[in-house]
Amino acid sequence: MLAINNLSVVYQNKTVLEGFNLSLEKGEIFALLGDSGSGKSSVLRFIAGLDEAKKGQVILDGNQLSTAGQHDVNPESRGVGMVFQDYSLFPHMSVEKNIAFGIQHLPKLEQQQSITELLKMIDLVGIEKKYPHQLSGGEQQRVALARALAPSPKLLLLDEPFSSLDKNHRDQLVAQVRHILKQTNTTSILVTHNIDEANTLSDKVGKIDNKRLTIK
Amino acid sequence: MVALPIFVVIFSWALPEHELWAHFSQNLLPNLISSTAILLIGVGVGVVLLGTVLAYLVVMVEFPGRKWLEWALFLPFAIPAYVLAFVYLGVFDYSGYAQVWMREVLGLPGFDIRAGSWAIILTFVLVFYPYVYMMTRASFKRQKINMIDAGKLLGAGPIRVFFQISLPLARPAAAAGLLVTLMETLADFGVVSLFNYDTFTTAIYSAWIDFRSIEVAAQLASLLVLVAFFLIYFEKKARGQAKYYSTDIVNRKPYHAKGAVGWLISLMVLSIFMLSFAMPMLQLLIWGWTSVAEEWSAKYIDLIASTSILTTSAALITVAIATILALPDRCKQGSVWLKSVIRLATLGYALPGSVMAVGLLYGVNQISEINNYLGGESINHLIFGSIALLVFAYVSRFMAIAYSSIDASAQQIKPVFTQSARLLGASRQRLIWRVYLPMMTPGILAGGLLVAVDVMKELPATYLLRPFGWDTLAIQVYELSAEGLYERAAVPALIMVLFGALIMSIFQYLDKKSSKTS
Repeated sequence: MLAINNLSVVYQNKTVLEGFNLSLEKGEIFALLGDSGSGKSSVLRFIAGLDEAKKGQVILDGNQLSTAGQHDVNPESRGVGMVFQDYSLFPHMSVEKNIAFGIQHLPKLEQQQSITELLKMIDLVGIEKKYPHQLSGGEQQRVALARALAPSPKLLLLDEPFSSLDKNHRDQLVAQVRHILKQTNTTSILVTHNIDEANTLSDKVGKIDNKRLTIK
Repeated sequence: MVALPIFVVIFSWALPEHELWAHFSQNLLPNLISSTAILLIGVGVGVVLLGTVLAYLVVMVEFPGRKWLEWALFLPFAIPAYVLAFVYLGVFDYSGYAQVWMREVLGLPGFDIRAGSWAIILTFVLVFYPYVYMMTRASFKRQKINMIDAGKLLGAGPIRVFFQISLPLARPAAAAGLLVTLMETLADFGVVSLFNYDTFTTAIYSAWIDFRSIEVAAQLASLLVLVAFFLIYFEKKARGQAKYYSTDIVNRKPYHAKGAVGWLISLMVLSIFMLSFAMPMLQLLIWGWTSVAEEWSAKYIDLIASTSILTTSAALITVAIATILALPDRCKQGSVWLKSVIRLATLGYALPGSVMAVGLLYGVNQISEINNYLGGESINHLIFGSIALLVFAYVSRFMAIAYSSIDASAQQIKPVFTQSARLLGASRQRLIWRVYLPMMTPGILAGGLLVAVDVMKELPATYLLRPFGWDTLAIQVYELSAEGLYERAAVPALIMVLFGALIMSIFQYLDKKSSKTS
């Protein structure tokens, strides 16, 4: 379903990652561990089409998205969703507008239905009209997840989405996110430096060590 | 004190001249209102469109030549509006060579550049877009790139990202730039008189010069103050509760325009730079070159000296007062009185320089009369025609620019800095010198430089209040261009532009430095 072949990442003229290969089945959740500067976020940004790489190919659902480190398909047309470390919710839009951003092509009624379903799924019914600054960190995180899931992406990328939460909240949320991802059968890649988080959330864990990926 | 001219013009309603006012309000007012409104709407739409699009392109898109164009787009700040107006008139007027070429080579009919409002609107837009450009550029630079990336991954193309994410977040900055532009347009006298376009400012001149009625002039001016109040209210409302800024500065471009699209963007941005700066400058240089031998004389040393002295002293005093007004203070937050004082002190920006001058002269005269009545002496001979009065007019007129720049940097001082300094035992004085002022320095410098550019360009108040023998470069430009001596006017205009460009490059250097350190 997803295949990443021979990805190499150069950061500030230094090769940080070489020969990265990964393939995932539909609905599979993969966690990528690594120290700061190991290039794990660069992998996500390359898959998303946001940054280019030195080498590498991305194939998603049989479509070639990137070849030789260059992108053949724009980020907006790849069908890839992403949850950022700082959530990056649009501060001038309410929760429902944030979630609806990616499904504006649908009729209003369908949008509304989708928002209601997603809010139910993330357990935040009744906050539709609130703005991001009125929400707690955990709530913002869940809204960011709902926003990324709304267009039903073929692949979801999670870039250290739990790092700014306290331990209690994090444990609870990690379990909840796994449940949601499994419920929606969304193929996902989580980038983190927390091994517990990786083990709880994912089906498969890999680690970048010495510029190479090893899958456990 | 700074707000004195405003009180004077409002006070003018106490001494109505019914007949003349009736003439003005019945025959001229409706036209004045509609022509001023058309001008404001046209200029407003134009500067917001041009300023935000240009700022967005240089901050968010990588295209060929972006780096130097980003800075080049500030340069029109250095050209006074009336200089650009006389260059355009000189080139596109009926006898200008653009029209001569059109008629003789292309065989097209001529046109009247002064007819309608399009040419004057275009001139104002090209001179004033840098206000919106400067403010929205700073705002775009502080937008989170991740947010734009999130938009992209949710399927939004560049245009949707611009309209639904970046632009709404930059709205307060665009509104602030728009406010300054509209106030500058309202206060302008040079451009509108060169284009023979009637606005409130020209009507104020007419009431005063043609009808010798300082009261009607002041009454018309008070209507301008009203418009200014409305504009300030509108800007505050547009700013709203929003606190959208992130602290990270954009250094990665979310879009890379490659190939033809990239060159097309370069061409578009370059053409704005050519129209607003390079081509007028080239024309000034050509005119200046042909007339410098005739025009240059020792008097230019005096002109440069008096311009420099006035500019420096006015900028220093304005900045000192604005800094005191903008110092963060807990008592200030709740003080309605102080807030009103600041609002009044910064309203002078909407007053045309001429009205400022009239207000001051009128005010001083009233004080003298009261003094005489009480058995004292008139103070007129001490104050009329003194540098002090002129500098005072500049300070009151340009307080808003200095204040908004300094206040913006003061706003970034979080209460936590004050609290931690207090807890470390810092006295109020030490807090000001060691915490506030160093943190406000970029804003203070920027405010001072912007005021200096404006003082150097200022025309009407200087014209009326300057001490004998204190002609400035602006006066020289005005006197020569009013007589149609465009070639000769190019010489002092070029010196002004050179000084303006120098001040702007210092401003850009500081801006670059502060964005590196923040």
